[in-house]
Amino acid sequence: MSIFEYNGSAVVAMVGKNCFALASDRRLGVQLQTLATDFQKIYKIHDKLYVGLSGLATDAQTLYQRLVFRHKLYQLREERGIKPETFASLVSALLYEKRFGPYFCQPVIAGLGEDDKPFICTMDSIGAKELAKDFVVAGTASESLYGACESMYKPDMEPEELFETVSQALLASVDRDCLSGWGGHVFIVTPSQVIERTLKARMD
Amino acid sequence: MGDSQYSFSLTTFSPSGKLVQIEHALMAVGSGQTSLGIKAANGVVIATEKKLPSVLVDETSVKKIQCLTENIGVVYSGMGPDSRVLVRKSRKQASKYHWLYKESIPVTQLVRETAAVMQEFTQSGGVRPFGVSLLVAGYDDNGPQLYQVDPSGSYFSWKASAMGKNVSNAKTFLEKRYTDDMELDDAVHTAILTLKEGFEGQISGKNIEIGIIDANRKFRVLTPTEIDDYLAEVE
Amino acid sequence: MKLDTSGLETFAPFHGANGDLCGELSSVPSFSLPKADNFDDFQKKAVQMVKPAKGTTTLAFIFKEGVIVAADSRASMGGYISSQSVKKIIEINPYMLGTMAGGAADCQFWHRNLGIKCRLHELANKRRISVTGASKLLANILYSYRGMGLSVGTMIAGWDETGPGLYYVDSEGGRLKGTRFSVGSGSPYAYGVLDNGYRYDMSVEEAAELARRSIYHATFRDGASGGVASVYYVGPNGWKKLSGDDHLSKKDVSKKEKTRPVRCIGYKLLNHVLRTEFLVDG
Repeated sequence: MSIFEYNGSAVVAMVGKNCFALASDRRLGVQLQTLATDFQKIYKIHDKLYVGLSGLATDAQTLYQRLVFRHKLYQLREERGIKPETFASLVSALLYEKRFGPYFCQPVIAGLGEDDKPFICTMDSIGAKELAKDFVVAGTASESLYGACESMYKPDMEPEELFETVSQALLASVDRDCLSGWGGHVFIVTPSQVIERTLKARMD
Repeated sequence: MGDSQYSFSLTTFSPSGKLVQIEHALMAVGSGQTSLGIKAANGVVIATEKKLPSVLVDETSVKKIQCLTENIGVVYSGMGPDSRVLVRKSRKQASKYHWLYKESIPVTQLVRETAAVMQEFTQSGGVRPFGVSLLVAGYDDNGPQLYQVDPSGSYFSWKASAMGKNVSNAKTFLEKRYTDDMELDDAVHTAILTLKEGFEGQISGKNIEIGIIDANRKFRVLTPTEIDDYLAEVE
Repeated sequence: MKLDTSGLETFAPFHGANGDLCGELSSVPSFSLPKADNFDDFQKKAVQMVKPAKGTTTLAFIFKEGVIVAADSRASMGGYISSQSVKKIIEINPYMLGTMAGGAADCQFWHRNLGIKCRLHELANKRRISVTGASKLLANILYSYRGMGLSVGTMIAGWDETGPGLYYVDSEGGRLKGTRFSVGSGSPYAYGVLDNGYRYDMSVEEAAELARRSIYHATFRDGASGGVASVYYVGPNGWKKLSGDDHLSKKDVSKKEKTRPVRCIGYKLLNHVLRTEFLVDG
C-alpha cells in the first residue's frame, strides 16, 4: 500500500460565483483501522485563504506548521496577507526543497485573490502545480471525486448551491473508498463571510 | 598582521559612540557626484551627474543608473565599484524573491534587503562599509516610491532627495520646487534644473543620466537624445 | 501438467453402487494448469489477482437456542469499494450455513462444491450430514490444495442430530471446533463486542442484536468492512434470515441509532450546521 494511502483522505475544492468551497472527509486511520473521525484536514492560512492537505497525516501537520511559519514571516515582513497565487508558489517551492525525500502530501490550495477572484489549485508531493478553473481533488478518494465533480459541477454557482454540490460530491465519493469518509467538513468562503459546516455521513 | 588589538574589525565604536568608518564612508558619498530623485504623482525620476575623468573616456560605456528589476531602478553617489557590488547583490535578492513567489519583489522588500547587506558590512570582520548611498526608484502595487539607502544601512522614503557633492544646495532647491501634485514630466524638469544649479560646465545629454518609471511600471534610462529634448524644454 | 483434482471427487458412497449421478458429477471439474515457464511465479501473480476481496467481518456463535451467523456486505479491491451488497453468508442447505472471508471466488466455488457433496451424502445415507462431517469434507479439500494459493476463511455453522455445530475452516488446512468465532479483517473489533456481550443463555433476539452490534462496530473501525449486517439464526428447524439486505429500513435504523449514530443520505442531514463564522471586515 502506498504511503499516501496510509491514513486515508479525500479533499476537494470547487469554484463558484465570487466564492469557493473546500471540503474534506474527517477520517484518520492507520491503513484499514479507523482511529478518529474528527480529524482536521483543512487549515486556515488567513481569512480568505485555506489549504487542504491530503496524504500522510504526520507530514500534513508538519507541512502545515511550516506553511503557517512562512506565512507569518511574510506577513510581518510585507505587512499584508499573502495572495493565493503567491502562496501556491511558496508551497510549491517548499515542497520541491524536499525533492529527494518529499512530504507525502498532496495539498489543495483555495483562496480569494485580488478583487475577490476565486483561486484553486493542487500540486503533487514535490510541488508541481496544477491550476484549475472549476475543481480540484486529492486523496485516496480522488478517482471517485473526479467522477462526482465532473458530473455535478456547474459554473458560477451561488454559495448555497455550491455547498450542496460539493457536499454531495464528497459524500458520494467517499462511499466508494475504504479509507476516507466517516463525516465531512466543508468551508464555503465568500468575500464577506466564511461558512463552516460539518457533514454527517455513513460511518462505515 | 593580526597582532593589533583592533585588527578584528575596522568598525569599532569610538569612545564618543561613533563608528568612524561609517562617517568616513559618508564622506566618500559626500564627495561623490551629485545624484537626486523626485517622486511625482504618477512616477519617479532619478538623475545624476556623469563627470568623466577625461574627455577620452567613451561616455556611452558609463552607466550610473541601473535596473534592479523591471520596475525598480537605482542610482548611486560615491564609489562606483562599491555600487556594482550592491547592484549585483540586490539583483540576486530580487531573483530569489521571484523564484520563491513567482511575483516581482515589492520596492520596500528590495530596499530592505539591500540595506541589510549594507548594515552587515558595518558589523562584519574583515570588511569595510560601502562607500555609496543609493537612491532607489520603483513603482509597484503601493504606487511610485523613492528610497535613499546610506552606508550605515539606514534607509528612508523620500518625496525628493539628493546626495553627493552638492547635496545641501540641491536639497534646498528641491524643497523650494517640490509640490505634491507634480507630474512626472515636471519632475524630470525639476531634476534637470536641480542638477544644473551646481553643475560645472555645460550640461548635456552626455554628461548627466536620468532614469524614470511611470504607471506602466517599466523602469527606463533616458537616452542622451531624450535628455537633450528635455534640456531644450527647460531652457 | 494437470492439477490433482481428487478433492473434487465425491468420496465413494457408503451405500449403493457407483451410480450415474456420482460418476457424472465427479468427472466435471478439472483444472488445467497454464503452460508457464515459472509456475510458482505465475501462481503468485494469479493469487494477487484473486486476493483483493479480502476485507470482511464475519462471525458466528453457539448459544442456548442454536447458532447465530452474521456478516457485513462490503467487497473491496484495495481501497476501492466494489460492492456494498455482497452476500457473505452462503446457504449450503436449509440446515447449514457457510461464511465467506478471503477470496470471493474460492469461497463461493468450494461452498457450492460442499453443498453438492452434502446433498449426495444425504441421498446416499438417507440422513443429513453432520456439521462435523461437512466441515471435514471442506477442510480435506482445502488441505489438498494447500500452498496453491486458495484463500478461504470460513465458518461452517448448522444444526444436526447432535444439536448446534460450529467449525472454523481455512485454506491453510486449519479446522477448529468452537462456540464463538469471527473471521476477517474486522474480526478483532467484532470479537471485542462479541466477547463482552456474550452469554450462553441469550434469547434469539438478544443474540441477533449482539451479532448485529458486533458487525456494526467492526464496520465502524474497519475500513474494509461495511454496508449492511446480515444476521442468520440456525435452530432445530433450520436457518432463518433475521436481517440483511433491507436493514437500512426505518425500523432497523431507529433501533440502531444509538450504537451507530449515523446513516444518512440526502439533504436534511447535510444542512446540519455546526458553526458559521463571519468575518469582521467584509
